[in-house]
Amino acid sequence: MAALVRISSLCHRGISPVLFRSSTLIRPVATQKHERDCPYSISARIHATPSYHAGSGSKAAAMHWTGERILSIALLGLAPVAYFFPGPVVDYSLAAALTLHGHWGFGQVVTDYVHGDSRIKMANAGLFILSTVTFAGLCYFNYHDVGICKAVALLWSK
Amino acid sequence: MALLIRTVARQGMCSSRSQFGVFYRHAAPMGTTAKEEMNKFWAKNTQLNRPLSPHVSIYKWSVPMAMSISHRGTGVALSSGISLFAVAALVLPGSYPYYLDLIHSLSYGPHFLAFSKFALAFPVVYHTFNGIRHLIWDVGRGFKIPEVYRSGYTVLALTLFTSIGLAAM
Repeated sequence: MAALVRISSLCHRGISPVLFRSSTLIRPVATQKHERDCPYSISARIHATPSYHAGSGSKAAAMHWTGERILSIALLGLAPVAYFFPGPVVDYSLAAALTLHGHWGFGQVVTDYVHGDSRIKMANAGLFILSTVTFAGLCYFNYHDVGICKAVALLWSK
Repeated sequence: MALLIRTVARQGMCSSRSQFGVFYRHAAPMGTTAKEEMNKFWAKNTQLNRPLSPHVSIYKWSVPMAMSISHRGTGVALSSGISLFAVAALVLPGSYPYYLDLIHSLSYGPHFLAFSKFALAFPVVYHTFNGIRHLIWDVGRGFKIPEVYRSGYTVLALTLFTSIGLAAM
């Protein structure tokens, strides 16, 4: 369970508040010496996930993480299959797996570097459009042109 | 100290004051979430136009650090390349073999071709091998610092030789 401890002292001696981006880190705050120096009240605001969240929280984030890893492993397995058994099934599987892997990867980049509610929304919307167009383009290529496996083979043949 | 905090946290933050023990005489649970706190921090500091302290620009680079951002960089580059390819497939009139022949007529000879293959293969291979390294971390193994460096150098060596091998094909 995540707990963020902020010790703010009335005597203004700085134990700097330790705020991190990751709420799962618990940094020990050096209170012992501090308490000895400052015997009158030290108020500690304990920041904790409210009890109604404890245990029954949404598993969406964890499942997304697992989904990302499963997809990565699937994509890894797809590579030798594409080499030994090229064809439309692998072509469309590659199109789907590559697009989704890239979409989720970009999603992590957005999460890390884009801040502010409206900016995050816009970035994710733009990403969604990009991924949709990418998948559409790859499917079009698979259907109307030589297909992904053949394309790589042709590229490497010269 | 950290153990104490962690133990208290794990037992759940009940309203009973007795759980907080000696160090938290005046403890009271906060009403905001971590996300709200972070947003408040950023809103306040950007509104005050405070500059950001140098961080990435002054920290000493390490091999794991460089490999990590390279993993992200190659991922972004590869994904962008695929998207570009997909858009081109939708927009350009000709077929793939046509454009491939066009590119080949522009190339500067066999060495340039081999180098291009190497340049194309390198990010794919690096991202793949480092991706496997990530998956190994995801099952919880290989976190000790010597192991991190060892696996890192292994990925780099494998990437180099595999890329050369692929470029030679």
